[in-house]
Amino acid sequence: MARKKRNKVNPDAVVRQLMNIVGEREVLYLKEDLISYECDGYTMTKGMPKAVVFVKNTEHVSQVVRCLNRERIPYIARGAGTGLSGGATPLGGEVIISLVRMKRMLHLDLDNRKAVIEPGFVNLKLTQSISDKGYYYAPDPSSQYACTIGGNVAENSGGAHCLKYGVTTNHILGLEIVLPNGEVVEIGEDGIPDQPGYDLLGLLTGSEGTLGIVTKITVKVLKNPEGKKTVLAYYDDINDASQAVSEIIAAGIIPAALEMMDSIAIEGVESAAYPVGHPLDIAAFLLIEVDGIAAGIDDQIDEILTVCKHNNVREVKVAKDEAERGLWWANRKMGFGAMGAISPDYLVQDGVIPRTRLPEVLIRIAEISKKYDLRIANIFHAGDGNLHPLILFDARIPGESERAAKAGSECLKVCADVGGSITGEHGVGIEKSAEMRFIFSDEEMAAQTNIRAVFNPDDLLNPGKLFPQPGRCVEVKQG
Amino acid sequence: MIPSYLEEVLPKEQIRVNDEMGHPLGNGGLQFIEAKSEEDISKVLAYAYVHDKTVNVVSGGTKRGFGGEIERADILLSLASYKGIVEHSVGDLTMTVKPGTTLKEITDQLRNHGQRVALDTSWPELATIGGIVSANDSGPKRLLYGSARDLVIGMRIVYPDGSVIRTGGKVVKNVAGYDMNKLFIGSMGTLGIISEITIKLRPIPKYEGLSLLQFHDGKEQDIRKFAIQLLDSKMEPVSLEVLTPTIAEKVTGKKNYTLAIAFEDRKNAVLDQEKWVKDHFPNGVVHSIKHEEEAKKWWEGFRHLGPNGYNDSKHDADTQAALKIGSNNLDVPIILGAIDKVAEVHHVGVEAHGGVGHGISKVYVKGFPEDIVSYIRAVRAMAEEKGGYAVCTHLPFALREPVGVWGEKPGYFALLEGIKQTNDPKNIMNRKRFVGGI
Repeated sequence: MARKKRNKVNPDAVVRQLMNIVGEREVLYLKEDLISYECDGYTMTKGMPKAVVFVKNTEHVSQVVRCLNRERIPYIARGAGTGLSGGATPLGGEVIISLVRMKRMLHLDLDNRKAVIEPGFVNLKLTQSISDKGYYYAPDPSSQYACTIGGNVAENSGGAHCLKYGVTTNHILGLEIVLPNGEVVEIGEDGIPDQPGYDLLGLLTGSEGTLGIVTKITVKVLKNPEGKKTVLAYYDDINDASQAVSEIIAAGIIPAALEMMDSIAIEGVESAAYPVGHPLDIAAFLLIEVDGIAAGIDDQIDEILTVCKHNNVREVKVAKDEAERGLWWANRKMGFGAMGAISPDYLVQDGVIPRTRLPEVLIRIAEISKKYDLRIANIFHAGDGNLHPLILFDARIPGESERAAKAGSECLKVCADVGGSITGEHGVGIEKSAEMRFIFSDEEMAAQTNIRAVFNPDDLLNPGKLFPQPGRCVEVKQG
Repeated sequence: MIPSYLEEVLPKEQIRVNDEMGHPLGNGGLQFIEAKSEEDISKVLAYAYVHDKTVNVVSGGTKRGFGGEIERADILLSLASYKGIVEHSVGDLTMTVKPGTTLKEITDQLRNHGQRVALDTSWPELATIGGIVSANDSGPKRLLYGSARDLVIGMRIVYPDGSVIRTGGKVVKNVAGYDMNKLFIGSMGTLGIISEITIKLRPIPKYEGLSLLQFHDGKEQDIRKFAIQLLDSKMEPVSLEVLTPTIAEKVTGKKNYTLAIAFEDRKNAVLDQEKWVKDHFPNGVVHSIKHEEEAKKWWEGFRHLGPNGYNDSKHDADTQAALKIGSNNLDVPIILGAIDKVAEVHHVGVEAHGGVGHGISKVYVKGFPEDIVSYIRAVRAMAEEKGGYAVCTHLPFALREPVGVWGEKPGYFALLEGIKQTNDPKNIMNRKRFVGGI
């Protein structure tokens, strides 16, 4: 690491202890080095960590954790920092344990369809490294080119294709964990299913880094489907598009992906890096993908086309080749980032609703948009009811950030009110901790924090996340 | 006499003194109480909690032989009358159901809407959804459809102090808070009583087929080779279940190692995959195919094998046991071969099957008690040698302690104990039913 024009600040005793464990150059502690660790992909709240430690192996993690326990200093595990709810954001004074250098694949066993990797392994790289043999890793969050699988485990990440294949938890077979007391435990050893005991794998996955630090992961890998076809359908009325979604599911089809975007979202992606040429005057489009045994796909595509037409589609087409399919998906996966092309700032929400309630929820979101005088784009994993309202705002205008946050919270309230959830794949983190009250009673949250105490009794590991903090004021900073 | 405190809790007709003396499967209770609502469950537990009474839970009774080192608790709480589908949201492919509903009752109701719960567990007319989830039971088709942990999206749990806690939700994708559902799946009722389950459904497939491949004696190693080839192809089998000769004889009439490969999809896709199997199976294999009703009937028979809590014999010589073995997927044929071979040495009769694509095997054993004990020890050693485990899912009460239902405690046992202590600090729920005496 090149070092010039440094402030002459000497490392304190704790930082020196950390340096003794991992090496002097593997610890950042100067303010200018720490700034990029003030937040993750959720930028509305920021906090300054005490230090960042780059660990290379499980032993490092264990020793660092023991040291911080002794010193009573809180700490957070972090991967690529792409999380969207502030799960890896310090509230102030935590030590960040960065796992990005633990990025090896330790074992690949295609016969038994599993791979063992370190937590810093990048999601997309796993698929890339086994695709020549015809295999892939199913969970595909939009940030898959950068996010790490350790982070995916912490957040129980989803993606566009989890309608058919499930989210991260359905693909995790084993974990090595460093517990907050520094002890290393292996759960689901060898990736063998249903091991006797409470399902700690299931509990740890999605625990947002508050129960332990994952240092090794055994994942399930899948064989590429034999056939795949993708349909794009343009609608003049969003209710027709919603109705088509329900009818596709009712026809007994489980598409690999069933995505929807509304007109503001389309305006965004068409202004971004991968424009498809979607008409800008439509109300919504559906992107529908069916995969599986090739001989069974044409039937399903025919049924989907019939359903689309029956529901007043303006235009519907099947991707003619892989290049066209690729472009449609690149355009879709740019969704969040594309908002930057039409708005200085945006806030993405992550509500889930029973998919049959979509039309009324969209009406209520439109009302929220009007109430706060902010545009809201909707990107929707329509098949599994996971709605991403993107609230567009300008942080330079005083009060607009706060209004955006309030509008976002109100969108989640709508989701909760129709029997849904406040998060489908981004996690609670800092962002939605207050909104946990929309869906859980105090007693139900206590049932969860009591379980946390079994693993993390002193709450030094990622404190202040996931559950509402009584009396704590979150400072909203301008992005 | 019924203790007066119980009468304060529920109407007399829901309580009776349990007159069954020493049930061979244990897991009984001095007082038998029938719950008809969540409120009943809550009241009984709240009283038990205050009065330090232990509670065993039963519904269909098919898993009464699964775990449990206490013959009788103070209360045996039955959920068998607490049944019915609470809500079926057809367009959302979800259903909320009470725990005492049998899988068959659920299947029959959902069929009218072209949907089903994708669990193919045994004895569906007896086993209830609450029991299946609590014991984390599964069948051969988990290969494609997953098991309870992949299907359950929300629950209501009555905690041992009587409070009702919701876990998860009613939507298919949800990461709000800890995934508490997972704690209760497979926990054998030791953390609380499931009073409601919301579960993801699947459409009934348009068409189904079953390819049966019989391998001649001495050709068992071909099963593994063929399975590797099939798994590395782009076919999508719903089951890839190996049957030992004795169990194959029961369901196919032929005493050979048999591979049962199910396909469920559009008709064209099923036929196409069956053609792939036909084109690739090794020489000497006897091959047959069943479709639709015939295939369904075959699986129906398959789901009625092994102990069910009611079919134990009074004769010592016909004592029954069942095991669940977990291993690496491709160790399944090896383990099944090995345990079949040593059955004779231990003078027991063994029927077994296991999924080459999912790593779970089921073994049904019959013989004298002492032979069963020695056989289970041998089987467990073989499974552990391959990095796997063996759990006894059915055993007479008297054999549970000598054999050890769950095997050795895992290295992280303190965490399991901590979770139990957190949820059930007075240790009243299904005491000693689970791993390490929890």
